[in-house]
Amino acid sequence: MTLRLSIPWREPRAPVLQRRHGRGGSKAVPAAAAGTSRQSGRARPREEVGLKRANFGDGPGLPTLLLLPQLLILLFFFFIPSLRALMQSVLLSDPFGTSVQFVWFENFRSLLASSDYRQSIAVTFWFTVAQNVLTLGSALVLAFATDRIVRGRSAYRTIILLPYAIAPAIAGILWAFLFNPAVGPLAQVLHGLGIAWDPNLNPTDALILVTLAASWKHICYDYIFLVVGLLAVPVSLMEAAAVDGAGPIRRFVSIALPMLGPTIFFLTVMNFIYGFFETFAIIDAVTKGGPAGATNILVYKVFVDGFVNLDLGSSAAQSVLLMSFALICTLLQFRYFDRKVNYGV
Amino acid sequence: MGRKVAFIAASFGALALVGPAQARVEVQWWHAMSSVLGDKLNELVEKFNTSQDKYTVVAVAKGNYDEVTNGVIAAYRAKRPPEMVQIAERGYMTMLLSGAIVPVQDLVEQKGYKIDFLDFIKPVASFWSYKGRMSAMPFNSSTPIFWYNKDHFQKAGFDKPAETWQELEKQLYAIKSKGISECGTVLPGDFYWSLLENYSAINNQPYGTLANGFDGLGTEFVYNKTKVVSQVARLKKWLDDGVMQIAGQGFSPEQLFTSGRCSTFVNSTASHGNIERNATINWSATFLPHESDINPPFNSTIGGGAIWVMKGHTPERYEAVAAFLDFVAQPETQVWWHGATGYVPATNRAYALARERGYYKDHPTREIAVLQLSRGTPNENSRGFRFGNFVQTMLAQRQEVEAVFAGQKQPQQAMDDAVKRGNEILRQFEKLNAGKTPETERP
Repeated sequence: MTLRLSIPWREPRAPVLQRRHGRGGSKAVPAAAAGTSRQSGRARPREEVGLKRANFGDGPGLPTLLLLPQLLILLFFFFIPSLRALMQSVLLSDPFGTSVQFVWFENFRSLLASSDYRQSIAVTFWFTVAQNVLTLGSALVLAFATDRIVRGRSAYRTIILLPYAIAPAIAGILWAFLFNPAVGPLAQVLHGLGIAWDPNLNPTDALILVTLAASWKHICYDYIFLVVGLLAVPVSLMEAAAVDGAGPIRRFVSIALPMLGPTIFFLTVMNFIYGFFETFAIIDAVTKGGPAGATNILVYKVFVDGFVNLDLGSSAAQSVLLMSFALICTLLQFRYFDRKVNYGV
Repeated sequence: MGRKVAFIAASFGALALVGPAQARVEVQWWHAMSSVLGDKLNELVEKFNTSQDKYTVVAVAKGNYDEVTNGVIAAYRAKRPPEMVQIAERGYMTMLLSGAIVPVQDLVEQKGYKIDFLDFIKPVASFWSYKGRMSAMPFNSSTPIFWYNKDHFQKAGFDKPAETWQELEKQLYAIKSKGISECGTVLPGDFYWSLLENYSAINNQPYGTLANGFDGLGTEFVYNKTKVVSQVARLKKWLDDGVMQIAGQGFSPEQLFTSGRCSTFVNSTASHGNIERNATINWSATFLPHESDINPPFNSTIGGGAIWVMKGHTPERYEAVAAFLDFVAQPETQVWWHGATGYVPATNRAYALARERGYYKDHPTREIAVLQLSRGTPNENSRGFRFGNFVQTMLAQRQEVEAVFAGQKQPQQAMDDAVKRGNEILRQFEKLNAGKTPETERP
C-alpha cells in the first residue's frame, strides 16, 4: 500500500493530477510529523524543499512577507472573531453589553438540554447527508454524460455551471416559488400527480425542498471537479477495457470511478462544509427554518438566535459547537475514508 | 435617500454662500421603513427640515427592524450611536433596560417642549410608557383589522363578516362550500400577533402573569390555560378543511387576498397603502372578530415602531432631537402620516382633526383601527405586553403552532410546550436584568 501510494509523486502527470495530489499531500505532512509511517507523503517534502530553494532564497523574510496578507486576513476575519465567539459563549450578556455575567458553560448546558437544539442537530445531519449524496450522485451522472457527448459539449457544460453564478438567495426564492403549493407551477404538477405537496405545512416536504435547492446550487461545483478528474483518467486504460469488451457504464464504474476516489473524497468534505455553513441563504429564502423547525439547520439557528433573538451567549456557544461538529466531521472523514481512497492508480 | 443627500448638500451649499450663518445641527435617525413607507418617512423628515432653519434630521434606512436593531447595537458598542432609532414594539423591554437610551418624555420636557402625553390613544401610550412616563415616541402604530372581499360575502348572501368567531366560521365554511372562493381566509405571516396576542387582548384573556408583565420581570406566560388553545385548534381545523390557506415562503399572504383567491385576511391597518394599490377586488375591512361569550369585546393592542433616543450626544443635538419629536407629535404631522401610510394617528387630537376634515367619509376603513384601539378602557389583559426577549418567545411559540399545523402536536400540548420554552426565555431575561431600573438619568 505504502509503496503503491508513493509512486505517483515522482511521476510527472497532468497538472490537474498534480493539484489533486497536492491536496492529498498537505494533510499527509502533519501525519508524518506525528510519527506515523502509514502515510505516503515522504517523497513530497523533498520536492517542496527543492521548490523553496529554487524560489525563495534562504531567509524566512520573503516567505513571511508573501504569507502576510493571507495571515492578516485570517487574523482579522477568522482568529479574532473566533476568539470573540469563544469568549462570548461563556457569557450571558444583554445585546448592548451593559450587563455581562460570566456563566461558565451554562450556555452549552442549556443548549444541549433543549429539544429545539437537538432537533436542529438531527435536521442538519439529514440535510447534509442527503444533500451530499444527491449532489455527488447527480454530478457524477452529469460528468459521465459529458464524456459521452460529442456535439455541443461546451454548451452542455456551460448550462450545468450556470446555477453556480446565481446568488443563493435568488436560487432559494426561485425554488420556493416553483414549489409553492398555492401558486408554484411545479407544485401544481405534483398535485396533479396526486401528491399532497405542501412544504409550508409538512416538515418532510420542507426538508426535501431545501435539500433539493441546496443540492441544485452545488451540483456544478462537484461537477467541474469530476469532469476535470475524468480527463485525467488515462485513455490507454479505457481503451484497453473497451478492447476487452467493457461497455461505457462498466468502464465508468470499474475504472473511472475508483480513479476519481481522491476527488470524490475531497468533494465529500467540501459538500459537508457547504451544507454546514453556506446553505444559510437558501434556508432563509425557502423556509426560514420552518415549518415547526423542520429546516432549522444549525447555521440558521446561530443566525436567528444571535441576530433576531439577540441571545448572543447562546448564539456564540452554538457557533463554537457548529465549528467543532464541522471539525470532527472532517477529521472522521479523513480518519476512516481517506484510507479507503486509492491515491495511487 | 439620494434626494435627501442632495437636499442637505444643497442646503449646506446655500449656507456657505450666505457666509457665516448659523450652522444647522445635524442629527441622524435610523429607521426600518422601506418602499412606499420609506418614501413617506423621507417626506416627513423633509417637511421638518424645511419647517425651520436650525436643525437637520438625516433619515437613514438601515434595512428591516432586525437589521436596524443590530445596527444600533453595534454602533452603540462602538460608541457611535445615531441620535434616534426606530425600534419595533417587541424590542420595548430590551431598549428600556438597555441603559443606552434617554427616555423621550424626560428629554422633551427638559428641552421645554409641551407635548401632551396624556392625549395619546391609550393602548399606544401604555405600550410605550413605563410607570406613566413615555419612554419612546410612538411613531408608526398599527393594529390588525379584518379585511374582506365584499363580492364574495354578497354572493354567499351575507351583508358583511360576522362579529363573532363562531358566526364567522359558518360564513367562511358557506363561502367555501358554495365554491365562491378557494379559501375563506389566509394565514397572516404575523398570525401570532393578530390571532393570538391581539385575540387575547380583545377577548380579555391573560397572556402572562403580573398583568402581562407590566408589574415585573417575574412574569410567566399563561396562554396555555386560556382560549388561545381553542383558537389554535380552530385555525388547525380551518387549515385541514381547506377554509384557510398558508401562503408560505416566496409568496405573500396579502397577494392571496388582493388577487381574490381568499375571501378574508387578518392584517395590519398599515397595509392600507399596499391593498389600495394592489387589490383587483372589491374590498372592505371591519373589526377583528371576538368570541361569542365575550361582549363587549376589549380594545386591540398595537404593533409597529417607536422612536428611541440614544444616550451619549451633546445638548445641542438633543435640542434638535426634541424639536423633531415635538414635530412628530403635532396633530398635523400625525394626520398627514396617518393618511399617507395607514398607520393610526397616535393622539386623540390628531384623530379628531382627521374626523373634522371628513377624512373618514372617503376612507371609512382607515378609522377602524383607531376605533378598535380606543374602545372601552384597557384592562390588564388589553393594555399591551411587557415581556423581555419577546421576539425569541414569539418564535418559539410560532414553531409550536406550526407543529400543530403539521399534525405533530395537539394544540394543548403545543401551547404547554410553547409556554414552557417561553418561560425559560423569560427567566433568562429576568436573570440578566434583575435589579435593573429603566433609565431615569436626564440628558
